[in-house]
Amino acid sequence: MRESKIMLLQYLTGLFILVLGTFHMLLLSVLAPTSNKVLYQYSSPTNHTLIGGTLYYSTVTAIYHTLLWGSIFELLLTFLVFHIFNGFRIILSEQFPGAKAEKIITYSMLIIGLIIFIWGSRTIVLMLLQGGI
Amino acid sequence: MAIENKKGWISWFNPIKYGFDRWLFAMHRFTGIVIGLYLMAHVFETSNILRGPLTWNNVMVFLDWPFGIHFGPYILSALLLVVVFHALNGLRLTIVENGLMLVKPYRPEYPYKPKSLAGWNFALKIVLGILMIVISIFGIVYIFTGVIL
Repeated sequence: MRESKIMLLQYLTGLFILVLGTFHMLLLSVLAPTSNKVLYQYSSPTNHTLIGGTLYYSTVTAIYHTLLWGSIFELLLTFLVFHIFNGFRIILSEQFPGAKAEKIITYSMLIIGLIIFIWGSRTIVLMLLQGGI
Repeated sequence: MAIENKKGWISWFNPIKYGFDRWLFAMHRFTGIVIGLYLMAHVFETSNILRGPLTWNNVMVFLDWPFGIHFGPYILSALLLVVVFHALNGLRLTIVENGLMLVKPYRPEYPYKPKSLAGWNFALKIVLGILMIVISIFGIVYIFTGVIL
Protein backbone atom coordinates (compact mmCIF):
# COMPACT_ATOMS: atom_id res chain seq x y z
CA MET A 1 0.00 0.00 0.00
CA ARG A 2 1.23 3.51 -0.78
CA GLU A 3 2.46 5.58 2.16
CA SER A 4 -0.06 8.35 1.37
CA LYS A 5 -2.94 5.88 1.76
CA ILE A 6 -1.47 4.46 4.97
CA MET A 7 -1.18 8.00 6.33
CA LEU A 8 -4.82 8.67 5.43
CA LEU A 9 -5.75 5.53 7.38
CA GLN A 10 -3.61 6.81 10.27
CA TYR A 11 -5.67 10.04 10.36
CA LEU A 12 -9.00 8.21 10.03
CA THR A 13 -8.23 5.64 12.73
CA GLY A 14 -7.06 8.51 14.95
CA LEU A 15 -10.44 10.24 14.57
CA PHE A 16 -12.34 7.01 15.28
CA ILE A 17 -10.17 6.37 18.35
CA LEU A 18 -10.99 9.88 19.57
CA VAL A 19 -14.74 9.12 19.42
CA LEU A 20 -14.66 5.52 20.68
CA GLY A 21 -11.99 6.34 23.29
CA THR A 22 -14.27 9.06 24.69
CA PHE A 23 -17.02 6.44 25.14
CA HIS A 24 -14.47 4.18 26.84
CA MET A 25 -13.58 6.95 29.32
CA LEU A 26 -17.26 7.75 29.95
CA LEU A 27 -17.94 4.05 30.62
CA LEU A 28 -15.41 4.20 33.45
CA SER A 29 -17.19 7.17 35.01
CA VAL A 30 -20.55 8.73 34.03
CA LEU A 31 -21.98 5.73 32.12
CA ALA A 32 -20.71 2.99 34.49
CA PRO A 33 -23.58 0.62 35.41
CA THR A 34 -23.27 1.22 39.15
CA SER A 35 -24.77 3.70 41.60
CA ASN A 36 -21.36 4.55 43.09
CA LYS A 37 -19.34 6.23 40.33
CA VAL A 38 -15.95 6.26 42.10
CA LEU A 39 -13.19 4.15 40.51
CA TYR A 40 -12.48 2.20 43.73
CA GLN A 41 -14.89 1.68 46.62
CA TYR A 42 -13.10 0.04 49.55
CA SER A 43 -14.68 -1.60 52.60
CA SER A 44 -12.85 0.92 54.82
CA PRO A 45 -10.00 3.45 54.42
CA THR A 46 -7.56 1.02 56.05
CA ASN A 47 -8.89 -2.25 54.60
CA HIS A 48 -8.18 -2.45 50.86
CA THR A 49 -10.92 -4.91 49.97
CA LEU A 50 -12.81 -3.79 46.89
CA ILE A 51 -16.59 -3.76 47.47
CA GLY A 52 -17.78 -1.53 44.61
CA GLY A 53 -16.94 1.24 42.17
CA THR A 54 -16.64 1.45 38.41
CA LEU A 55 -13.65 -0.94 38.32
CA TYR A 56 -15.35 -3.55 40.52
CA TYR A 57 -15.63 -7.00 38.89
CA SER A 58 -19.43 -7.08 38.52
CA THR A 59 -19.52 -3.52 37.12
CA VAL A 60 -16.89 -4.30 34.49
CA THR A 61 -18.43 -7.66 33.53
CA ALA A 62 -21.85 -5.99 33.12
CA ILE A 63 -20.23 -3.79 30.44
CA TYR A 64 -18.30 -6.64 28.77
CA HIS A 65 -21.44 -8.81 28.56
CA THR A 66 -23.26 -6.21 26.45
CA LEU A 67 -23.01 -6.80 22.70
CA LEU A 68 -23.00 -3.07 21.93
CA TRP A 69 -20.10 -2.28 24.25
CA GLY A 70 -18.27 -5.47 23.27
CA SER A 71 -18.49 -4.41 19.62
CA ILE A 72 -17.30 -0.90 20.49
CA PHE A 73 -14.31 -2.34 22.40
CA GLU A 74 -13.46 -4.60 19.46
CA LEU A 75 -13.59 -1.68 17.02
CA LEU A 76 -11.53 0.47 19.38
CA LEU A 77 -8.94 -2.29 19.72
CA THR A 78 -8.75 -2.72 15.93
CA PHE A 79 -8.24 0.99 15.30
CA LEU A 80 -5.78 1.33 18.20
CA VAL A 81 -3.63 -1.59 17.08
CA PHE A 82 -3.38 -0.18 13.54
CA HIS A 83 -2.76 3.40 14.69
CA ILE A 84 -0.16 2.52 17.33
CA PHE A 85 1.84 -0.06 15.40
CA ASN A 86 1.82 2.02 12.24
CA GLY A 87 3.06 4.91 14.39
CA PHE A 88 5.82 2.71 15.81
CA ARG A 89 6.70 1.61 12.26
CA ILE A 90 7.03 5.23 11.11
CA ILE A 91 9.18 6.22 14.11
CA LEU A 92 11.43 3.15 13.86
CA SER A 93 11.80 3.48 10.07
CA GLU A 94 13.05 7.03 10.59
CA GLN A 95 15.49 5.91 13.27
CA PHE A 96 16.81 2.98 11.24
CA PRO A 97 16.62 4.01 7.57
CA GLY A 98 17.13 1.63 4.66
CA ALA A 99 15.05 -0.88 2.71
CA LYS A 100 16.16 -3.95 4.66
CA ALA A 101 15.58 -2.33 8.06
CA GLU A 102 12.17 -1.10 6.93
CA LYS A 103 11.14 -4.61 5.93
CA ILE A 104 12.23 -6.05 9.29
CA ILE A 105 10.45 -3.24 11.18
CA THR A 106 7.22 -3.60 9.15
CA TYR A 107 6.97 -7.38 9.69
CA SER A 108 7.94 -7.10 13.38
CA MET A 109 5.22 -4.51 13.99
CA LEU A 110 2.72 -6.64 12.07
CA ILE A 111 3.46 -9.72 14.20
CA ILE A 112 3.43 -7.86 17.56
CA GLY A 113 0.28 -5.98 16.53
CA LEU A 114 -1.45 -9.25 15.61
CA ILE A 115 -0.52 -10.83 18.96
CA ILE A 116 -1.97 -7.84 20.87
CA PHE A 117 -5.08 -7.83 18.64
CA ILE A 118 -5.71 -11.57 19.10
CA TRP A 119 -5.10 -11.38 22.86
CA GLY A 120 -7.46 -8.41 23.29
CA SER A 121 -10.12 -9.91 21.00
CA ARG A 122 -9.93 -13.16 22.97
CA THR A 123 -10.86 -11.29 26.18
CA ILE A 124 -13.73 -9.40 24.50
CA VAL A 125 -15.19 -12.46 22.73
CA LEU A 126 -14.92 -14.81 25.73
CA MET A 127 -16.54 -12.22 27.98
CA LEU A 128 -19.36 -11.76 25.46
CA LEU A 129 -19.89 -15.55 25.29
CA GLN A 130 -20.06 -15.72 29.10
CA GLY A 131 -22.79 -13.12 28.84
CA GLY A 132 -24.97 -15.62 27.00
CA ILE A 133 -24.76 -14.33 23.43
CA MET B 1 23.92 5.74 -1.42
CA ALA B 2 23.06 4.58 2.10
CA ILE B 3 20.61 6.74 4.02
CA GLU B 4 21.81 7.78 7.44
CA ASN B 5 20.11 9.18 10.49
CA LYS B 6 23.10 10.42 12.48
CA LYS B 7 21.25 12.42 15.13
CA GLY B 8 18.54 9.84 15.80
CA TRP B 9 15.58 10.34 18.14
CA ILE B 10 17.54 12.71 20.40
CA SER B 11 17.15 15.37 17.68
CA TRP B 12 13.39 15.47 18.40
CA PHE B 13 14.19 17.24 21.65
CA ASN B 14 16.60 19.77 20.22
CA PRO B 15 15.03 23.17 20.96
CA ILE B 16 17.81 25.15 19.25
CA LYS B 17 16.67 26.74 15.98
CA TYR B 18 13.19 25.28 16.37
CA GLY B 19 9.98 26.72 17.77
CA PHE B 20 6.86 25.66 19.64
CA ASP B 21 5.61 23.42 16.82
CA ARG B 22 8.80 21.38 17.02
CA TRP B 23 8.08 20.74 20.69
CA LEU B 24 4.53 19.70 19.84
CA PHE B 25 6.00 17.27 17.30
CA ALA B 26 8.42 15.82 19.87
CA MET B 27 5.75 15.54 22.54
CA HIS B 28 3.32 13.92 20.08
CA ARG B 29 5.86 11.21 19.35
CA PHE B 30 6.83 10.75 22.98
CA THR B 31 3.19 10.51 24.15
CA GLY B 32 2.43 8.15 21.26
CA ILE B 33 5.15 5.76 22.41
CA VAL B 34 3.90 5.93 26.02
CA ILE B 35 0.30 5.20 24.93
CA GLY B 36 1.49 2.35 22.69
CA LEU B 37 3.38 0.70 25.54
CA TYR B 38 0.41 1.27 27.85
CA LEU B 39 -1.98 -0.38 25.37
CA MET B 40 0.12 -3.56 25.38
CA ALA B 41 0.11 -3.64 29.20
CA HIS B 42 -3.61 -2.74 29.29
CA VAL B 43 -4.60 -5.60 26.96
CA PHE B 44 -2.78 -8.15 29.14
CA GLU B 45 -3.98 -6.55 32.38
CA THR B 46 -7.67 -6.56 31.35
CA SER B 47 -7.44 -10.22 30.25
CA ASN B 48 -7.35 -10.99 34.01
CA ILE B 49 -11.11 -10.53 34.02
CA LEU B 50 -11.38 -14.05 32.56
CA ARG B 51 -9.78 -15.44 35.74
CA GLY B 52 -12.73 -14.49 37.92
CA PRO B 53 -13.67 -11.85 40.51
CA LEU B 54 -10.96 -12.56 43.08
CA THR B 55 -8.05 -12.19 40.62
CA TRP B 56 -9.62 -9.15 38.91
CA ASN B 57 -10.32 -7.27 42.13
CA ASN B 58 -6.83 -8.09 43.44
CA VAL B 59 -5.25 -6.77 40.21
CA MET B 60 -7.33 -3.58 40.45
CA VAL B 61 -6.30 -3.04 44.10
CA PHE B 62 -2.64 -3.64 43.16
CA LEU B 63 -2.92 -1.01 40.40
CA ASP B 64 -4.39 1.48 42.90
CA TRP B 65 -1.90 0.55 45.64
CA PRO B 66 1.23 -0.69 43.80
CA PHE B 67 3.59 -2.27 46.38
CA GLY B 68 1.44 -0.90 49.21
CA ILE B 69 1.79 2.76 48.17
CA HIS B 70 -1.31 4.71 47.04
CA PHE B 71 0.26 5.72 43.74
CA GLY B 72 -2.49 4.60 41.33
CA PRO B 73 -4.26 7.99 41.01
CA TYR B 74 -0.96 9.70 40.13
CA ILE B 75 -0.21 7.14 37.40
CA LEU B 76 -3.76 7.46 36.04
CA SER B 77 -3.56 11.27 36.08
CA ALA B 78 -0.23 11.24 34.22
CA LEU B 79 -1.72 8.82 31.70
CA LEU B 80 -4.76 11.04 31.28
CA LEU B 81 -2.54 14.07 30.52
CA VAL B 82 -0.57 12.03 27.98
CA VAL B 83 -3.74 10.72 26.28
CA VAL B 84 -5.51 14.11 26.21
CA PHE B 85 -2.42 15.82 24.76
CA HIS B 86 -1.93 13.15 22.08
CA ALA B 87 -5.63 13.14 21.15
CA LEU B 88 -6.04 16.90 20.83
CA ASN B 89 -2.68 17.48 19.15
CA GLY B 90 -3.53 14.60 16.81
CA LEU B 91 -6.80 16.34 15.97
CA ARG B 92 -4.84 19.52 15.19
CA LEU B 93 -2.41 17.58 12.99
CA THR B 94 -5.28 15.91 11.12
CA ILE B 95 -6.79 19.33 10.38
CA VAL B 96 -3.54 21.12 9.51
CA GLU B 97 -1.73 18.34 7.62
CA ASN B 98 -4.73 17.95 5.36
CA GLY B 99 -4.39 21.59 4.32
CA LEU B 100 -7.21 23.03 6.42
CA MET B 101 -6.95 26.22 8.52
CA LEU B 102 -3.76 27.26 6.71
CA VAL B 103 -2.97 30.45 4.82
CA LYS B 104 -2.83 30.52 1.00
CA PRO B 105 0.58 29.69 -0.54
CA TYR B 106 2.87 32.74 -0.57
CA ARG B 107 6.35 33.70 -1.74
CA PRO B 108 8.90 33.42 1.11
CA GLU B 109 10.31 36.85 1.93
CA TYR B 110 12.83 38.07 4.46
CA PRO B 111 12.75 37.58 7.53
CA TYR B 112 10.99 34.31 6.52
CA LYS B 113 8.50 34.23 9.36
CA PRO B 114 6.14 31.34 8.59
CA LYS B 115 2.66 32.77 8.03
CA SER B 116 1.29 29.25 8.03
CA LEU B 117 1.72 29.11 11.81
CA ALA B 118 -0.35 32.25 12.41
CA GLY B 119 -4.05 33.01 11.94
CA TRP B 120 -6.46 30.06 12.16
CA ASN B 121 -3.62 27.66 12.91
CA PHE B 122 -2.62 29.70 15.96
CA ALA B 123 -6.27 30.03 17.09
CA LEU B 124 -6.66 26.25 16.80
CA LYS B 125 -3.68 25.73 19.12
CA ILE B 126 -5.14 28.13 21.70
CA VAL B 127 -8.62 26.53 21.59
CA LEU B 128 -7.28 22.96 21.83
CA GLY B 129 -4.84 24.03 24.57
CA ILE B 130 -7.71 25.43 26.66
CA LEU B 131 -9.76 22.28 25.97
CA MET B 132 -6.82 20.15 27.11
CA ILE B 133 -6.58 22.02 30.41
CA VAL B 134 -10.37 21.79 31.02
CA ILE B 135 -10.59 18.04 30.22
CA SER B 136 -7.51 17.34 32.35
CA ILE B 137 -8.97 19.20 35.35
CA PHE B 138 -12.29 17.29 35.04
CA GLY B 139 -10.43 13.99 34.71
CA ILE B 140 -7.95 14.50 37.55
CA VAL B 141 -10.66 15.70 39.95
CA TYR B 142 -12.65 12.56 39.09
CA ILE B 143 -9.65 10.23 39.51
CA PHE B 144 -8.77 11.60 42.95
CA THR B 145 -12.24 12.24 44.38
CA GLY B 146 -14.77 10.30 42.28
CA VAL B 147 -16.68 13.56 41.81
CA ILE B 148 -18.03 14.12 38.30
CA LEU B 149 -17.96 17.89 37.72
